[in-house]
Amino acid sequence: MECRVLSIQSHVVRGYVGNKSATFPLQVLGFEVDSINSVQFSNHTGYAHWKGQVLTAEELNVLYEGIKLNQVNRYDYILTGYSRDSSFLETVVDIIQELKKANPSLVYVCDPVMGDHGAMYVPEYLLPVYRDKVVPLADILTPNQFEAELLTGRKITTEEDALEVMDLLHKLGPETVVLTSTDLPSKRGDQFLVALGSQNIVKADGTKTSQKICMDMPKVDAVFVGTGDLFAAMLLAWTHHHPKDLKAACEKTASVMHHVIRRTMTYANEMAGPGKRPSPAQLELRMVQSKADIENPAVVLEARVL
Amino acid sequence: MECRVLSIQSHVVRGYVGNKSASFPLQVLGFEVDSINSVQFSNHTGYSHWKGQVLTADELHVLYEGIKLNKVHQYDYVLTGYTRDTSFLEMVVDIIQELKRANPNLVYVCDPVLGDHGSMYVPQNLYPVYKNKVVPVADIITPNQFEAELLTGKNITTEKDAVEVMDLLHAMGPDTVVITSSDLPSRLGDRFLVSLGSQRKVRPDGSRTTQRVRMEVHKVDAVFVGTGDLFAAMLLAWTHHYPDDLKMACEKTFSVMHHVIQRTISYAHELAGPGRRPSPPQLELRMVQSKADIEDPAIFLKSFFCPPINTSTRRALVLKRISPRRQSACDRITRDLCLVSGAPACSIHPKVI
Repeated sequence: MECRVLSIQSHVVRGYVGNKSATFPLQVLGFEVDSINSVQFSNHTGYAHWKGQVLTAEELNVLYEGIKLNQVNRYDYILTGYSRDSSFLETVVDIIQELKKANPSLVYVCDPVMGDHGAMYVPEYLLPVYRDKVVPLADILTPNQFEAELLTGRKITTEEDALEVMDLLHKLGPETVVLTSTDLPSKRGDQFLVALGSQNIVKADGTKTSQKICMDMPKVDAVFVGTGDLFAAMLLAWTHHHPKDLKAACEKTASVMHHVIRRTMTYANEMAGPGKRPSPAQLELRMVQSKADIENPAVVLEARVL
Repeated sequence: MECRVLSIQSHVVRGYVGNKSASFPLQVLGFEVDSINSVQFSNHTGYSHWKGQVLTADELHVLYEGIKLNKVHQYDYVLTGYTRDTSFLEMVVDIIQELKRANPNLVYVCDPVLGDHGSMYVPQNLYPVYKNKVVPVADIITPNQFEAELLTGKNITTEKDAVEVMDLLHAMGPDTVVITSSDLPSRLGDRFLVSLGSQRKVRPDGSRTTQRVRMEVHKVDAVFVGTGDLFAAMLLAWTHHYPDDLKMACEKTFSVMHHVIQRTISYAHELAGPGRRPSPPQLELRMVQSKADIEDPAIFLKSFFCPPINTSTRRALVLKRISPRRQSACDRITRDLCLVSGAPACSIHPKVI
C-alpha cells in the first residue's frame, strides 16, 4: 500500500494527543505519515502544568515551502485536528487547496474541534473560519454533537434532527460525516451513547443517496484526551480500506477505540489504586501496548444501517 | 514491558531521520517514547532544499520544566543524536544529569555525531563538549571510526588499535561502545566493512571483564540518511533485551539495519528506473514497510568474538566434529566454528577444509 498522509496537529513530548495520537497507529497500518507539528508542548493541557511553544502561520508556510521546493507535495490524505489560531487555520486551508490542485483525489479528513457539552473551548472567531473555509474543503468530517450544531445552526434533540444536521453538513462540503458522540438516548440504556454517520453514495442507476448508520457505544467513566485524534486517524485508515462502506469503516474504528480505551482504563485504575481517581498522566492512552488491536481490530461494536 | 525513553533529536516533516527514524521502531518494540524535537525541518538536509525552525536551549529547558513540574521525569533511557548547537548540547547534559539523579539506573545512549570519512560536519566547538561533558555521562556510545579517533586522539589502522580506542572510550565513561563503521579491511573482501563493539562488565565475584565483538557488514552503494539514528535506537532496544550479551544485541541491530536498507535500496532503484541513481526522496528509509523486520529481525549476519583462534586449532575442531554426516550436523559444526574461531560464516565449509 503506497499511501501518504499529511497530518498537521500538535506534538506533545509526553503522551498521546494530536500527532502523537495519530501517527503511530497510521504507521502501524502501513501509511506513510508526514507530520507538521503545530505546537510542541511538554504534555496536553489537562495536566496540572504544561509548557511549550507554538508554530506561527508563517512558520507553517515555510515548512510547506520546503516540501514544495523539493516537489514532494503529493499527498493522498490530509488530517487536521485541534487548532487555536485563525491565521494558522487559514494557512492550512491555503495549503490544502494547493495540495488538492496537485492531487484532485486527495481526501481531507477534518476534525472541526471547537468544543463539547455546550461550550466552546477554542476562540469564538474560529467558527466562521471552520464553517466558511475549512469544512467546505473537507471530505470526511468528525464533529461531536455540539460542533455539528454550531456549524449548521441547528439543535439536535431527536435522531431525525441528527439526520437533518448531517445532510446540512453534506451540503457544506464533506461526503462523509460522523457525529462522534451525541446526547441522544440510546436504545441500550444510559450506559451507552449514540454516534451516527452519513455517507453520500451514488447508486448503480446513477441516483444520489446517502447511507446512514447508527452506533451505540459504551460510555466510560473517565476523561480521556487524544481519543478524538485517534478516532479521526483510524476513520481515515478504515474508510481508506472500506471507501464505500461506512458501516464497516465505523465498526472497525469504534472497535479500535474500544480496545484502546479498555486497556487504558484498566492500567489507569491499576496505577491509581483502589478507590482513587486516575490522574491525567495515568490516563494517557496505552497506544504502543495496543498495537495488535490497531493492526487488526476485533469488531466488538455493530453499526445499524438506518 | 514498561520502559520509557526520552529521545531528543530532530523532527522532519517528511522522511526518516532523528526522532522520525527512532520513534516508530522503538514504539513497535513496545517502548514508550517521549520525544523532544530539537528542530522541525521540512526534510533532511541532503535534499536540494530544506526549510524549518530550530529549538533553542531555553526552549528545550522550558519543555523539560513542564515534564518536571508534572513529576513525570522518570526515564529508563535517554537517546540523543545529531546536534549543531553547543548551548543546546550543554542543556541536554544538564537534563541528563538531573534525570540520572531521579533514576540512577537510567541508561544514556549517545550517538556522538561529529563527522565521517576524515572530516567534521558539525561546528568544531562541539568537539570539547562531547569529549568533556557528553561522553562522560553516556552509558552506550555509537561513534564511527572518525568520531572514535577524534574523541580519543588515537588513529585506528589495525584491529588492535580499534580495541585500544574502545578501551580509551570506556575509560571516558561508557561501558558499551560500538564503532559502527571503520576502514579496517574485512575478512570477507572489499564489499564489506568492519564494525566493532566492546562491553565492560563486572562479574558477580567483582572482577571486570570485557566482551569484544567484530561484525563484517555488507557495504551498500548508496548514501543513506537516518541509518545512524535507526542504529542507535535499535541498539538501545536490543541491549535492553540482552544487557549482558553485546554479541547478540549487535547481531539483532545490524540485522534490522540490513533488512531496512535492502528494502529501501530495492524500492529506490524501482522508483529511479534502470541505470539512474536514486534521489534523496527516493532513498528515504522504508520504515513502516519494515515493521515485521523491526519486530523480529531474522539474524542476517554473524558477529565474532575477538581475537580469532589460529588455523590449526580450527582444523582440529572440524576433524573432531565431522560425524554424524547429516546436513543439520554440518550446519551445527559451521555455526559452532564461527562462534569459536571468529572466522566468517560463509567462508567455512566442511568440504573445503
